[in-house]
Amino acid sequence: MARPSSEPALELRATLPANVALHARPAGLFVREAARFDAVMTISANGKTANAKSILEVLGLGASGGTELVIAASGDDAVEAAEHLARLVAELV
Amino acid sequence: MTTAKDANGFVSLVLVSHSAAIAEGLAELVAQVAGPSVPIVAAGGGPDGSFGTDGARVLAALRQASGGSGAVVLMDIGSAVLSVRAALEELGPEARSIEVADAPFVEGAIAAGVTASTGGSREDVAAAAREARGTAKL
Repeated sequence: MARPSSEPALELRATLPANVALHARPAGLFVREAARFDAVMTISANGKTANAKSILEVLGLGASGGTELVIAASGDDAVEAAEHLARLVAELV
Repeated sequence: MTTAKDANGFVSLVLVSHSAAIAEGLAELVAQVAGPSVPIVAAGGGPDGSFGTDGARVLAALRQASGGSGAVVLMDIGSAVLSVRAALEELGPEARSIEVADAPFVEGAIAAGVTASTGGSREDVAAAAREARGTAKL
């Protein structure tokens, strides 16, 4: 579904695989992928919200395996960015 | 973030610690988080393997990391600053490509490494390191 670029934040939910926490390596991968997009993105878990492009904030979420994450994005490539990151989260190993 | 990525590649990191094990361990951790593309030079420990900093080792590390897209230096505790300053003076004009970041050693290096891995400029990488000062852990 096409969305105008002025659309406010879009939210997608994605669940970490049961055996993968958002620790050093997976968090680094997530942030590096997030940085490829212009969209402003946040990732929320455990009642905390992090800038998706800040490794220290993402690590600070303390998201363990099986946690449901909410990815919120706004900006021209928000749909593509959020879908990409949601897929990445679900497929982390 | 600017897009001033140099054609020569990624900004390098130099990690200066009073302990060789800390510098090398942090380099490994940063590579794990930021991926293998960012050049990281560890310069830790005194000349005889004791705790301390070794001016010659720091100078060699800065020389190795200088040029190209530039380098950002992080230090563990205050007195390493003296070694880095002395080495930068000795380095001469090459020192222009190097920026010293006042940042927490571990968190700053991780933030800097990830920013470098995304093609950030030297200024971006140093800023990411400094921002680590204000990022809560809990």
